[in-house]
Amino acid sequence: MSIMSYNGAAIMAMTGKDCVAIASDLRFGIQAQTVSMNFQKVFEMGPRLYIGLAGLATDVQTVAQRLKFRINLYELRENRRIKPKTLMSVVSNLLYERRFGPYFTEPVIAGLDPKTGQPFIASLDLIGCPMITEDFVVSGTCSEQMYGMCESLWEPDMSPEVLFEAISQALLNAVDRDAVSGWGAIVHIIEKDKVTTKTLKARMD
Amino acid sequence: MQMDPGLHKGEGYQYGPNPKQHYFSPYSMNGGTVLAIAGEDFAVVASDTRLSEGFSIHTRDSPKTYQLTNSTVLGCTGFHGDVLTVTKLLEARLKMYKNEHNRQMSTSAIAAMLSTVLYYRRFFPYYVYNIIGGLDDEGKGAVYSFDPIGSYEREAYRAGGTASSMLQPLLDNQIGFKNQEGVTKVPLSKEKAVFLVKDVFISAAERDIYTGDNIMIHVTTKDGTETEVFPLRRD
Amino acid sequence: MFLTRSEYDRGVNTFSPEGRIFQVEYAIEAIKLGSTAIGIQTSEGVVLAVEKRVTSPLIEPSSIEKIFEIDHHIGCAMSGLIADSRTMVDRARVEAQNHWFTYNENMSVESVTQSVSNLALAFGDDDADPGAMSRPFGVALLFAGIDDKGPQLFHMDPSGTFIQYDAKAIGSASEGAQQTLQEVYHKSMTLKEACKNALTILKQVMEEKLNSLNVELATVTPAAGYKLFSKEEIEDLIKDI
Repeated sequence: MSIMSYNGAAIMAMTGKDCVAIASDLRFGIQAQTVSMNFQKVFEMGPRLYIGLAGLATDVQTVAQRLKFRINLYELRENRRIKPKTLMSVVSNLLYERRFGPYFTEPVIAGLDPKTGQPFIASLDLIGCPMITEDFVVSGTCSEQMYGMCESLWEPDMSPEVLFEAISQALLNAVDRDAVSGWGAIVHIIEKDKVTTKTLKARMD
Repeated sequence: MQMDPGLHKGEGYQYGPNPKQHYFSPYSMNGGTVLAIAGEDFAVVASDTRLSEGFSIHTRDSPKTYQLTNSTVLGCTGFHGDVLTVTKLLEARLKMYKNEHNRQMSTSAIAAMLSTVLYYRRFFPYYVYNIIGGLDDEGKGAVYSFDPIGSYEREAYRAGGTASSMLQPLLDNQIGFKNQEGVTKVPLSKEKAVFLVKDVFISAAERDIYTGDNIMIHVTTKDGTETEVFPLRRD
Repeated sequence: MFLTRSEYDRGVNTFSPEGRIFQVEYAIEAIKLGSTAIGIQTSEGVVLAVEKRVTSPLIEPSSIEKIFEIDHHIGCAMSGLIADSRTMVDRARVEAQNHWFTYNENMSVESVTQSVSNLALAFGDDDADPGAMSRPFGVALLFAGIDDKGPQLFHMDPSGTFIQYDAKAIGSASEGAQQTLQEVYHKSMTLKEACKNALTILKQVMEEKLNSLNVELATVTPAAGYKLFSKEEIEDLIKDI
């Protein structure tokens, strides 16, 4: 079994009109055994900037911390907020430094540009190859299921309310067809003036 | 003793410094997706028409649906060689049954027989994913899904093949009303079923390189089977 | 018929110049020595009744079995050589279970009869299927059961020929019994009436006095399937006739 599916995870991000959403499941398990049902996989990297890390849990936490370190340093040096796209480059560099002994985690980034408020979503592979899209990105053990859901549910210019419904349904129905992710979910809806965080009830099996 | 690096010719065997292992792989994966949905008095069976291997497309016109009887359609994907063998075997068994028992085989009997046909190859299986759609003895829609070695189950809807994991969660949501609260579970209409089939296949063709070109949709009712071809992306 | 006996009556694989296979005809004759068995089909179900020849008071009557369960929905009565019938009943049972295993449905009465007929016709073949013998079976069978077409009664003779009947008698008193069946049979007969009629006819043709020990009776109905009547149940029926 691949080390990428040792702990199980499901993360996705979607764009809407002047808003983005990022959602993850809450399970932490060791192969088939569920250990925790409120494991954080999405991390705040700025006021309107989030990163989700799917993959090996230990690397998820390490990458999250090392990334926060670099972002803090960046913002102290530059004395300004980091742009989502710049964050993506930092993540890419961080991961590529371990090109031949990688962190086993594939990040998803969602945020609004601190100046223009432009929605931004991107995903990277475990060695830092970035991919920016207009619609949605997914990462985790049930990526095929998430692609199937997102491909059908996503539409352009969704309002925050519609976006919340779309990303929630997409995530919940995807994790229900995966044995190692689910057990609750958390959704962040990022708008220019506020971030709404909701935890979702889900099947617990 | 000195070893000669060249070929040694002994009694009935040869060996050299560079031993070579030879493999034969009896299976290949030719891709494709099938889908069946059971309604109150109808069943929909659909498949894409792409046949591929690795990164190349063999043909864009190879449906994976097989009309077995007036009231039963089979969807069959996996290794195309085994698909051909299994469908041909089923056709023969269907004719033999008709000759022996003077009646057409029911959907449930076909499902039971397919299970035994598959299980008889338990240790050298047919590499095929089967989904049967049709009408049962009472005229109600029926879907039976199988694994390659004959485990089977009657269900309301099922996707199989390379894009099954993309289709199935959406069917759970839209037909099974999973993760939806306070909705009235209206019975599925024929039109809604066919619409959903097209919708999920368009999504699958978007992401699965083994699914595309066209969908073949069969709608089976008591009046027989109607077939529709719907275009998908061809890249 | 016995006047035409010739060298042709020895082989089962040789036609006589008149186009007959004597061994098969002799086997059919053998049935006429057997105990009488009756089958009646009604809209409610089918009944099978046979006489048991308890030739000695030292015989344990329940050890003589002439009605068999083939499957839950099919029964079979025999007349002729009991030992031969075992092979055929065995085949019928195997075929019925094979059908259920493969198709997850009950085998039709006609199909069961057909499969036994295939065995009946396989005589004389050196490398025939297991169960077949060098001579024809000396048995006639009545298959009674329920399938998609409703209650069904089939008769099969040693030649393998099988025909569907509303009511049929086989065995030593079959001629008289068949005559009576023709007179009493009507389409709206109830199963209860059919049971009584069958016993009445047996009573008429049996040499011994009919009692609950020297007859066997079974019914096959859509609700209960195959049911062999107990001694007490037969006694109740006898009281009414």
